[in-house]
Amino acid sequence: MKAPRFSRKTLCIPYAVFLLFFVLVPMAVIFVYAFTDADMHFSFWNFINFFSDPTKIFTVIYSVVIALVTTVITLLIAYPTAYILARSKIKKRNVLLLLFVTPMWINFVLRINAIRELLNWIGLLGTANYFNTIFGMVYDFLPFMILPLYTTIQKIDESLYEASADLGGNRLTTFFRVTVPLSMPGIGSGITMVFLPSMTNYVVSDMLGNSKVTIIGKFIETYFGTDWHMGSMIALILLIVVFFSAWLSGGFKADETARGANL
Amino acid sequence: MKKRIGSIALSALLLFPMLGMLSGCGGEKTVTLRVYNWEEYIDEGGKGSFVYDELHEEDETTHKVTEIESDIVNADYMERYERETGRAFNKNGYDLIDDFEHWYKTQYGVNVRVEYSTFGTNEDMYNQLKLGNKYDLACPSEYMIMKLASEGMLDPLDESFFDETDENNHYIRNVSRFIQDKFEAGELEVSDSDTGKKHWSDYAAGYMWGTTGLVYNPETVDESDLEQGWNIMRYPKYKGKVTTKDNVRDSYFVALAIRYRTELLALDPADENYNAMVTEIMNRRDAETVAEVEKILMDIKRNIFGFETDTGKSDMVKGTISLNFAWSGDAVYAMDEAEDQGVSLNYYMPEESANLFFDGWVIPKDGGRSDETRHAAHAFINYLSMPRNAVRNSYYIGYTSVIGGEEMFEYTDNLYGAEDDDETAVDYDLSYFFGNDREYVISAPEEQLKRQLYAQFPPQQDTLRCAVMDYYGKEADDLINELWTRVKGEALDAWAIIVLCTAAATAIGSFLIMKFGSKIDWFRRKPKTGYRLVKQEPIKPQ
Repeated sequence: MKAPRFSRKTLCIPYAVFLLFFVLVPMAVIFVYAFTDADMHFSFWNFINFFSDPTKIFTVIYSVVIALVTTVITLLIAYPTAYILARSKIKKRNVLLLLFVTPMWINFVLRINAIRELLNWIGLLGTANYFNTIFGMVYDFLPFMILPLYTTIQKIDESLYEASADLGGNRLTTFFRVTVPLSMPGIGSGITMVFLPSMTNYVVSDMLGNSKVTIIGKFIETYFGTDWHMGSMIALILLIVVFFSAWLSGGFKADETARGANL
Repeated sequence: MKKRIGSIALSALLLFPMLGMLSGCGGEKTVTLRVYNWEEYIDEGGKGSFVYDELHEEDETTHKVTEIESDIVNADYMERYERETGRAFNKNGYDLIDDFEHWYKTQYGVNVRVEYSTFGTNEDMYNQLKLGNKYDLACPSEYMIMKLASEGMLDPLDESFFDETDENNHYIRNVSRFIQDKFEAGELEVSDSDTGKKHWSDYAAGYMWGTTGLVYNPETVDESDLEQGWNIMRYPKYKGKVTTKDNVRDSYFVALAIRYRTELLALDPADENYNAMVTEIMNRRDAETVAEVEKILMDIKRNIFGFETDTGKSDMVKGTISLNFAWSGDAVYAMDEAEDQGVSLNYYMPEESANLFFDGWVIPKDGGRSDETRHAAHAFINYLSMPRNAVRNSYYIGYTSVIGGEEMFEYTDNLYGAEDDDETAVDYDLSYFFGNDREYVISAPEEQLKRQLYAQFPPQQDTLRCAVMDYYGKEADDLINELWTRVKGEALDAWAIIVLCTAAATAIGSFLIMKFGSKIDWFRRKPKTGYRLVKQEPIKPQ
């Protein structure tokens, strides 16, 4: 018998175990719960119930809308920021970058509480629930958009800009013909990292929208109090929506074109 | 050598639990008691505990803590504590669970180890039980007790637990008659009723109780508006100034009281069946009622500041809102907190009806439970029901204990009674709660009739309109949960449609440009007519 040999593959075991117990098994459990009734018999009831209830469908759509608006605003703020950061000649740009990332080190609930106080002080709390929710999400997810954009823009070869200029492109042309296409992987990755969590981050809608704004994540939470099967079904449907939008935004591209954008 | 030390340490580590096992086998057995309770729902000692706060004083400016004498926690108190638990008294206060372990050992000579875990909601607790987690004692609320009983998930309490002649039966000897009467009258639908036991009291021993009402700020709310009762939730005058709870049962209760307001107010409180009639109305859940409740909840949603679970207390204190649906214990907390900041808040139970709730100890069914464990479980309830421990718990948790009697009354009187020279003080009769052996009357400052004292102990007359909400049964529960989904969920409005259409148009547009852009002239790159001079570094001669 051969003695067990230590190979590089052995190093994968911890991750494989983790993957199995904390990713695959829970997904399987959700799947089983979604298609069973209270007595654990196979049932399509939750599926039918979900698609015959306009409230649930509208709430999913509304979550998508809120996530879309959040993503667009985040992108509009993050792109110029990342561009300036990446292209500036400032020596201390790492410090600047740090300024954008530091808020992430403070506990999320604390940050949202602080924003709540701020909105209350301005007088928006309780009057503009949807605005507050989106504001909170944008604030919360901005670093997740800036970082991948920064990495991709920074990695664009300087000579490409020069080439563009040589060929007669002005700054605007260079930006749209060179910078934007080459930072597409970063945009895709940023969108994935902002769009998906903002459909489920119900702490923001509860705290800043005073629970008068409901996103689909909240429904999952509520149903997991009373009916795990329905909760699992909604979670499963959300998972499909998530996969679909990740596929649309190209989050699965893992080849070299991603250039480190897939964090 | 290093390796040697390492292996010695390792074997010592391995031996350690084995030593424990050996001593475990050596005659003395340890009983394990698995207790499942709400978070922060037992005196955990330290700052904020009764013993600590009685014996310490903090200077307001320097925050220096000094030890002080206490009338209650005096030498007698300490001596009795040491005698009962067999451990030295600690001025910082011990954990009540820890105390129980010592007390049990001293009392019965048996080692007990409490495995204490906590839950956040009744539903969490239920799910954990359903998943097969084993507990020897759990502390759900009344409707969850009914649900567990109806599903045959509870063991009845021992008959001997209710023997008043046994000195160790602190629960039955001290529990308030008011609570125990409710427990004995309340019927359960027990699925396996071969034992013939079907009352709450057969399965549950009370722990804490309370009411629901409105906390309001008398400076911003006209007291005459309170006559509107729960309807104030949709009164335009307080638009954006009132909150309700973000859970279906409490919100359903509010809407139900609004729906049947006329009927409820027409009842005669002097009627001996008054409470039963109120309770009947406040438990209606037929399809027609549910549909009307939904409409009322939609109105409420439009009018309120928001639904909340935890933020209401601080929003009241800060003045962001003027009215807040509150559980009495939370109301007491909010009023205490507000007082510290120089704001005064009041509590009010609307005229139509208020909810009466309680949390009680039950023994979840478990075939493998030993008699020793059962004994320890009953002893745990009894220990918590000793008046001085009930005082400790009430003080720490802020809710009202179900324990009545002399010591509890003195504690309440101490906390809320008026100064001796206060001439405006009013008599507040609480005999119905503390006992019928004598009159229990607190001479309280007038404002306390609207504040903490009122929230903790409503006068007997007000308890008559307090209704217990039953477990609704699976069918009605589903109906009401769906209603809640509809109330909380989103509808498609113009904004959403605009955003969606824009997004779709952008997506389709960019797809088309990517695909066919090169075929359309407009998008085709046009050759530039002239070249722009590009700044260039002069080439250095080699």
